[in-house]
Amino acid sequence: MSQVDASVELRPKLVGARVKRTEDPRLLSGNGRYVDDMTPKGTLHVALRRSDQPHAMIRAIDLGDVFDVPGVVAVFDATDLEGDLTPAIPTSKMKNYYATPIWPLARGKVRYVGEPVVAVVAESRYAAEDALEHITIDYEPLPFAIRQVDAVAPDAPLLHEEAGTNVIISREFQRGEVDEVFAQAPVTVRARFRMTRKTAVAMETRSYLAEWDRRKRALTLHSSTNIPGIIRDVLSGCLDLPGNRMRVVAPDVGGSFGGKGSLYHEELLVCVLARRLDRPVKFVSDRLEDLTATSQAFDELMDAELAVDEEGRLLGLRADVIGDIGAYSIYPWTGALEPVQVVSFLPGPYRMAAYHGRIRGVLTPKPPTGPYRGVGRPASTFAMERLIDMAARKLGLDPAEMRRRNLVNAEEFPYRTGSGIIWDRSAFQECLQAACDCADYPALLRERDEARNQGRWVGIGFASYAELTGIGSRIAVAPGMPINTGIETAKITIDATGAVTADFGISSHGQGLETTLAQVIADELGCRMEDIEVRHGDSALVPMGTGTYASRSAVLAGGAATKSSHVVKAKVLKAAAHLMKVPVEDLEASQGIVRSRSSNRSLNFKEIAHAVYAQMGRIPHDQREDLVAMESYDPYFGTACSSTHLAMVEIDPETYGVTVKRFVVAEDCGRIINPMIVDGQVQGAVAQGIGAALLEEVVHDDDGQCVTASLADYLVPVASVIPTIGIVHVEAELPGTIGGFRGMGEGGTIGAPAAIANAVSDALSPLGIEIDTLPVTPDRIFRLVEAARAANPTERTTA
Amino acid sequence: MKPAAFDYVRAESVAHAVDTLAGAGGDGKIIAGGQSLMPMMNFRLVKPSVLVDINAIAGLDRVERDDSRLRIGALVRHFMTARDPIIARHAPVVSEAMKHVAHLTVRNRGTFCGSVCHADPAAEMPMMTVLLDGRIHAVSSRGTRTIPVLDFFAGSLVTTLEPDELVAAIDLATIPEGMGYGFHEFARRHGDYALAAAAALMRREDGRVKDIRIAVMGVGEMPSRIAAAEDQLEGTELTDKAVGRAVAALRAAISPGSDLNASADYRRHLAGALAGRAIRDAWSRAKEAVPA
Repeated sequence: MSQVDASVELRPKLVGARVKRTEDPRLLSGNGRYVDDMTPKGTLHVALRRSDQPHAMIRAIDLGDVFDVPGVVAVFDATDLEGDLTPAIPTSKMKNYYATPIWPLARGKVRYVGEPVVAVVAESRYAAEDALEHITIDYEPLPFAIRQVDAVAPDAPLLHEEAGTNVIISREFQRGEVDEVFAQAPVTVRARFRMTRKTAVAMETRSYLAEWDRRKRALTLHSSTNIPGIIRDVLSGCLDLPGNRMRVVAPDVGGSFGGKGSLYHEELLVCVLARRLDRPVKFVSDRLEDLTATSQAFDELMDAELAVDEEGRLLGLRADVIGDIGAYSIYPWTGALEPVQVVSFLPGPYRMAAYHGRIRGVLTPKPPTGPYRGVGRPASTFAMERLIDMAARKLGLDPAEMRRRNLVNAEEFPYRTGSGIIWDRSAFQECLQAACDCADYPALLRERDEARNQGRWVGIGFASYAELTGIGSRIAVAPGMPINTGIETAKITIDATGAVTADFGISSHGQGLETTLAQVIADELGCRMEDIEVRHGDSALVPMGTGTYASRSAVLAGGAATKSSHVVKAKVLKAAAHLMKVPVEDLEASQGIVRSRSSNRSLNFKEIAHAVYAQMGRIPHDQREDLVAMESYDPYFGTACSSTHLAMVEIDPETYGVTVKRFVVAEDCGRIINPMIVDGQVQGAVAQGIGAALLEEVVHDDDGQCVTASLADYLVPVASVIPTIGIVHVEAELPGTIGGFRGMGEGGTIGAPAAIANAVSDALSPLGIEIDTLPVTPDRIFRLVEAARAANPTERTTA
Repeated sequence: MKPAAFDYVRAESVAHAVDTLAGAGGDGKIIAGGQSLMPMMNFRLVKPSVLVDINAIAGLDRVERDDSRLRIGALVRHFMTARDPIIARHAPVVSEAMKHVAHLTVRNRGTFCGSVCHADPAAEMPMMTVLLDGRIHAVSSRGTRTIPVLDFFAGSLVTTLEPDELVAAIDLATIPEGMGYGFHEFARRHGDYALAAAAALMRREDGRVKDIRIAVMGVGEMPSRIAAAEDQLEGTELTDKAVGRAVAALRAAISPGSDLNASADYRRHLAGALAGRAIRDAWSRAKEAVPA
């Protein structure tokens, strides 16, 4: 490998270049191929009768004259499928945890509105939906607690009796004598923060197609998943099929944002039905189903309190968090994924001795919560960054200065937080400074103050955070989970035509990884980018691959690609050395051509491959090697990614509409593979974060019904609410990962909600209002303003 | 979200359309833009036995002016209403309101008459029809009738149109020269159904408000004019105090409901704020009448 690296600095680099996405010609011209684009001959379509009850026993199911509907082939409920599979169990080594089993259809009782109960299989989705109208389900309603504060009560109705409690997750983190710190702290601030429930709303809804190959007794599931390898592994167990007869393929996938990153009832269902009916079976979620039965996110109540000294230095933090995890623990992450990350990341990127964080994850009759871009950190950053600003306000300290005094400094890395997270070197302070410089913070303050003097409500807000990305096998993505998410494999093959095929276990679903990984391989293997075909999203490609999530793919797959590229390159050079009759040290490879430094001789990859594979005797028979390598990479700890966001908002003092006027992101994602893709990820994630801050909220009413079941009621951000986003890339000392990459796909969603909450609070500070709930809607601002005016009628206000 | 089965007839003429409707025995639906109907069918909230498509009928896509009235045909799309020079000249408040209507794809298909027939209490076109004394021209196999707007809306998503009737056109009053107008709307995102909107029309005579009209939407079962607020301003000088009295009267006169996006109290507050802005805009745009 060292011989290969000798020429590194001489090569033109693709890593770092603004290469246009190679995926885009097919995706933007309508030539993508999504699950719903596949309808093999004889495909049957599934429509689901979903529960309209939050918690009820299924007394009886009456199919009526359902088989009179033309095209109906079969109808199933849970009792019909008992012998066809074993359930998926989201196990964990966590103490005090109960793993709720996952079946395709509700067994015996229903636990949320939207849970699948009866599956109709028909020749078309239309016929299947017609048939649903003929089915009557007799329910015996059971008591339930829809709000987490009620569900944690010892006498609350139990959703899973076998668990003996609704609180199936509890953890605590403690460092230092927190209570003593608070007892003596000169200044404390506290609030009950609420990050409401959200859902991911990918443009492509969840879609599944299962095909049973009778000849091979093998099953292929085409799934709009971003974790095909994990799904293959669990289905293999549930369906009792070995991995070589159970394949999961994610073709083009139209976004996930976390929502497609777990196992779903319907994935189990189409597999079971295809095998049983011996026909292809397809299920495509419609938007109503997507909004009511795709995994949801956040939904935490966070009682949090911060202690600081007179200079604004952080002394201690304590928090008691209740996470509403919904009706089931999701596979494979478990219901602990989201809430436990809230308390583990709550101390943020700050130096602070004492911490006590407690989390309870409670079952409620709502769709399960699962991964969502940012996981836990959008909520923890919201709470912590609000506390920082509240403390700064109390002390009369500038919020930028408050952060400057507390962010971990360069010389303090690696820094261990109160919850045990270790931050490696990342540009914590530099990002804060860069955000201030980019926005011209002093000028921005003047602009705000001038606007205020005119009676306008303008505010500025910061959010600084750090996250773990590219996590290796030392740290579980979710606590106690039985899956190793810390490894990725790349198999790189140069075939007899000289073409390069790179197979991965990751599963790009909008990130542009086909482009970025090809950039890495082109550099490290010395081939041309256009000769590389990156394949991913197929469990058959590598022995084990978990997929694309948790800001891991550039780091892990990029590392694995680098390792495999080096091995293949060594083989190419060795073969070329034989062919050119020069020492291997004399050779270098670049852009698909191997050159001899000492002579003018060169061979291209095609010629070398042809000689290796097709021409007898060109290479000594005992020296010949296939130009193939399959290496895996485990960054072990992973690496930190840090950022500061800065937002300026204006609130209409009459309508209470919030407009984001300015937004700046300064972030450190290590060495950048493709700045254009990084910018796109930042912009998309910030837009998602603005949605979380101002618009998006899944609402379940007191009857347990989801009342945000259409895109007229669940409001996602649109172009007109997103400002131009200024992006500054700060590159601190590179991390120890191969290539120096850090993960960066989620950060925008982490910082933006907090920055906007702080900016809105700043705009409303003349009224003494502190934002504690997101989204901060016009109606919520109205109520806060009315309450503030009622409490202090003499306050000078403009509206 | 697939509709129940239905028959489809592409009508060649208004007569063909209304005969088909009559034959459906009350179970037929007209489709023009389909921007409200299709989602309702996909949710199976409506299951018409037959859809009568009027898109191929010639002559329904016109905006015409006849003296003091504008006539808007059944196939006039939102984008046509928004850009129409006759509307911009003779009913600029409509052009102003159209800026808030939906998004490109919806504007390309949705129709003025279809929106009025859908009677969403938070939609702009029903409100414009109320503000400008609209008249709905209904055709059926039984004959034609003209329905004054005050007799047309019967509640949220409810009108007095009979199941066998087709709205061939709606006519609106034009705004006389010199009359000022204002329209203000607030929605969570641009193009969404309004949380509330208010419009005002007025002339200036001897420095006083004359012929004022104030209408609101999104704050009741249907759009309506608010006489109590109009009364506060008619014949007065437009002072801050007078506007404040009108806004207070308006807030007292409406009884909005609470929903997901807005509480009743916020809606009441909002309607007042928007009405205040619409009134001020109308005043600033109104030209002092020059004695003949």
